[in-house]
Amino acid sequence: MEEGNLDDVAARVGGQISQNRNSRVLTIEPGKLRDACKFLIDEMPDFYHLSTVTGFDEGKTIGVIYHFWKGKEFLSIKTSVPKENAILNSVSDILPASILYEAEVKDLLGVEFKGNRMTLQRLILPDAYPPEAPPPLRKEADPEKIRKMMELE
Amino acid sequence: MSDKGNNSPISGEEGSAKREVSAGLMQYSPENLMPFGPVHPALHEPEYFKLILEGEVIVDAIPRIGFVHRGIERAAQDRTWIKNIYLFERICGICSFAHSLSYVQAIEGILQFEVPKRARYIRVIVAELERIHSHMLWLGLVGYWTGFDTLFMWIWKDREHVLDLIEAITGNRVHKSYNTISGVRKDLPENISEPIKREMAYIQDRIRYYRDLVSREETLVVRTRGIGKIDAETARKLCPVGPLLRSTGIARDVRTEDPYAAYDEIVPEVKTSSQGDVASLLTLRADEVLESCRLILLALEKMPSGPTKLTAPRSVPKGENAFHVEAPRGELFYYIRSPGGITPERVKIRTPTMANVLTATSMLKGYTLADVPVVLTGMDPCFGCMDRISVFEVDKEKQWSVRGEDLRQYGISHYKTKKL
Repeated sequence: MEEGNLDDVAARVGGQISQNRNSRVLTIEPGKLRDACKFLIDEMPDFYHLSTVTGFDEGKTIGVIYHFWKGKEFLSIKTSVPKENAILNSVSDILPASILYEAEVKDLLGVEFKGNRMTLQRLILPDAYPPEAPPPLRKEADPEKIRKMMELE
Repeated sequence: MSDKGNNSPISGEEGSAKREVSAGLMQYSPENLMPFGPVHPALHEPEYFKLILEGEVIVDAIPRIGFVHRGIERAAQDRTWIKNIYLFERICGICSFAHSLSYVQAIEGILQFEVPKRARYIRVIVAELERIHSHMLWLGLVGYWTGFDTLFMWIWKDREHVLDLIEAITGNRVHKSYNTISGVRKDLPENISEPIKREMAYIQDRIRYYRDLVSREETLVVRTRGIGKIDAETARKLCPVGPLLRSTGIARDVRTEDPYAAYDEIVPEVKTSSQGDVASLLTLRADEVLESCRLILLALEKMPSGPTKLTAPRSVPKGENAFHVEAPRGELFYYIRSPGGITPERVKIRTPTMANVLTATSMLKGYTLADVPVVLTGMDPCFGCMDRISVFEVDKEKQWSVRGEDLRQYGISHYKTKKL
């Protein structure tokens, strides 16, 4: 795969490319996520194996990474959304494989994916998980407190 | 499900032939909804499917997972890097070695460790032994779900030989606790090469027999050929992994594309099939077992001498790394973030079944209720989570529930009347 292609995608969505061991990371603004995925599929159809979508707590923001895999390399599209307003546009219509992965990130980190139908219901968390409790993988989530909340119900 | 004749109409003469279905995901009326699952706690990753039926034909299937969500990713954040190896092994009782292998290699990437060559070869041997026992377990289960119990018992008896080998090498049958950061915890026992060669010869002999058997035995052929078909184009879109993907003809295997451990020197031949149905999965997995036997013997032959581990530090420097291995069921993905210290900040795990669930739901569409056990077993999700199924038919104001065992019997009797 030529280096130029990813540069094209980065130039079109205004992202930055960095190298991290076996991954190339394209960091973009949250609003550009759909464009980046779309361009990536158009430019590099071979990269079209979505390994997974990872979410993690960065303190004030939630980081979301889409991991693509080809050959000896990962290509990661990374974006960050603020915790108070964690909303992203889903790419599940462009990348059907992402539908469950996004629902998982929504459950565990509370990132809303607009347009993903699987996020309308819980996927991983039990239905009894209190809605007022923070999502379990956020740093402010205290397992003891949540356990107490669930026992009270 | 004794009164099935009255309550669930068996439509069409062909029994299992795929029907055209129209509705897309989540467009259904509640009248045709059949909850399927959810769990059997003894098996890993139980699943629950909402099946949308038209008569007996499945129009759509919507997964709901997480019934044994144990919060392992969260638990890992409070434990040290070393303790987590043993925690992650407990995610799966079948591919436990693949989990620890992926995790420790992700850490070794951050530490920039050069793992001793002998340890990398030993990792290949244990990983391939695990693949053999996992595939044999699956082949047996297909026998069970199709009512061919003799096959189930034979294969599981032969599988014991592999488990004994794993026990001889690692000390444990299931949770091997064998990997550690920078290598494996102990060397191969003395005089192990003779038993390995003997057992591999035995397994190869048996698997050749089973491979021949599954491709011509009528009980299996009727239940699996042309069932759960999926084409390469759909597979490319839904990104399944492992044998499920390779059964559609796409030769994607982490071992050859992104070699880890010693797979750059012991190169596997990637087996594929072009049929994309459950029958092709049977022969494909049998082929993969034979290939694994070859790899183990090759690794044993080329095994270098030397140390099996280095001294690893307790803490890991700041950094992040993504790593994947080819577990028996396909690509197993780990992503770790280290804040610099003795505990991880985030460990993300994507198991092969998570990637395959979506494909399995699309495989179900157009087939009958009687095919559900075989198709869902086809993706090898350690599936057995059908202990209680409720069947609702709102129109007839009837509701009854069946156990997984009853559905198995129903599938068997359905095909008895239809085909045999």
